[in-house]
Amino acid sequence: MLMTNAIDVQQLAKRYDTSMALHGISFEVKPGEIMGFLGPNGAGKTTTLRILTGLLAPTGGRVQINGLDVTEQSLAVRRRIGYLPENVSLYPELRVQEYLTYRACLKGIARAQRRQRVDDVVGQCGLGEVRRSLIGRLSKGYRQRVALADCLVGRPDILILDEPTIGLDPHQIRQTRELIKSLGQHATILLSTHILPEVEIVCQRVTIINKGRIVAVDTPDNLRRRLAGHQAVQVELQGDAGTIEQALGQVPGVARVNQQLRNDGFTVFEVEAHPGQDVREAIFRLAVDRRWTLRQLSLVQTSLEDVFIRLTTQEQDS
Amino acid sequence: MRNLWALTVREWKAFWYSPVAYGVGGFFLLMQGWVFWLLMAVLNDPRVDPSWRMSQFFFGGTLFYWLSILMLAPLLTMRAFSEEKRTGTIEVLLSAPVTDAQVVVAKFLGAWSSFGALWGLTGFYFLLLRTYTRLDWGPILTGYLATILLGGLFISIGILASSLTRNQVVAAVMGFALMMVLFSVGFLDVFISDPQSSKLVSYYSVLEHVRQAAKGIVDTRPLVFYASGIGTVLFLTVRILATPRWRA
Repeated sequence: MLMTNAIDVQQLAKRYDTSMALHGISFEVKPGEIMGFLGPNGAGKTTTLRILTGLLAPTGGRVQINGLDVTEQSLAVRRRIGYLPENVSLYPELRVQEYLTYRACLKGIARAQRRQRVDDVVGQCGLGEVRRSLIGRLSKGYRQRVALADCLVGRPDILILDEPTIGLDPHQIRQTRELIKSLGQHATILLSTHILPEVEIVCQRVTIINKGRIVAVDTPDNLRRRLAGHQAVQVELQGDAGTIEQALGQVPGVARVNQQLRNDGFTVFEVEAHPGQDVREAIFRLAVDRRWTLRQLSLVQTSLEDVFIRLTTQEQDS
Repeated sequence: MRNLWALTVREWKAFWYSPVAYGVGGFFLLMQGWVFWLLMAVLNDPRVDPSWRMSQFFFGGTLFYWLSILMLAPLLTMRAFSEEKRTGTIEVLLSAPVTDAQVVVAKFLGAWSSFGALWGLTGFYFLLLRTYTRLDWGPILTGYLATILLGGLFISIGILASSLTRNQVVAAVMGFALMMVLFSVGFLDVFISDPQSSKLVSYYSVLEHVRQAAKGIVDTRPLVFYASGIGTVLFLTVRILATPRWRA
């Protein structure tokens, strides 16, 4: 391997008094990558992130950040990361600028550059209007942004964000996602979330964790493709539903046909194809041959949500 | 060093930006002012033993002295770690590149210097007194020294208590209880006849330390006692803070 992984987790295990929170998980994040870290509540996401930031010690395994061991070289690691915890908590008695200056100082930004650095993150996170306000008086959205600004103020190479958009309104969620995406140009990001569209919009790769085990690591597209297993097509045709269903069933590549709903002489069918087959053209030709009126022909996208549900419930069954 | 300074300043702000500071500070000064007025009355009474000095009354001579220290130390330290644990800011703090020792020492220095600042304000009474009479500054300064050292030990204990819980009230009660234990050692002397044990007790007796210092006596043994006491308690606090990391 030419480049060191930005985050390198090997056989990481964590035991709380009686229960295992992590059963030896392994994954890597490459420099400059935005990795989604996905899982239902209680899957071990926050535990993993806490170990990565040096707040907890692992029971077993090894975590390296930029080639530095998180337990052995904790201080050096903490200089390189920006961590946004799940529940944003700040000192309410400080003003935004005062707080960010204090954090910049702790993160080793030299006095001469501190002011400039704070100005930069205030601009980046849209805090200009509130920079002189007391943190205790800010709305949830602004507080989240202050925490994000704090995360960035030390110029970290690696950002570890635990549910960064939780509790924000839709407009703020969009802004925050845009911001995270733009940050991804300079930094490696590990983004923990259970909001699936967020992963699809922001992340290049996804790690799915369930009950302390990794169940998948791949790009969102590949995950969808691989786990969907087959392609489904929705088609709406006019004519006798029974005849059409039978004819569709005989199209090469079709695995199954389901009648769905009828509406003024048209019927919607869902056609499932065998893996790797695209049956849309064949269906179109069939409709033309039989002179059926075709009103709709579309690919049903398997959402990441389906994949997620499938992966995390399979695990439960076994 | 820069971290330590930034963290200590944050502790100062946490205390002095809050209304609690002015409540506690106001109450403290009111109590000391009343003590001062009382002493003026007592010292002007011809029946009082003339060999007693002002400093002996002011430092450790009244119940109010002990009461104010035993109240002030838990009030100054109860929030130290428990508040950060309760709100979750402790995670943000410890994920920054700071050592546990820096965090603990900064909490200590912040509370200790606030304690010192409040006591420093009582110096005004002596300045006031000086305009009417001649003062022997030696015992006054050693009295302050003993107060500050004793305050340091009690504050380190308060910080230890605060690191054990996320509840401020529990932290204050626990800190107060521990301080009371230490304070009570001085009373054991009454029950002890063996001179060897008596010597041991007096080494640990904060009552005795303050009494001696208020006479103007500077002894190195109490200095060692307070320095090592503060060091030990703060070391324990650092270990407690690091628990989640060594209890793998």
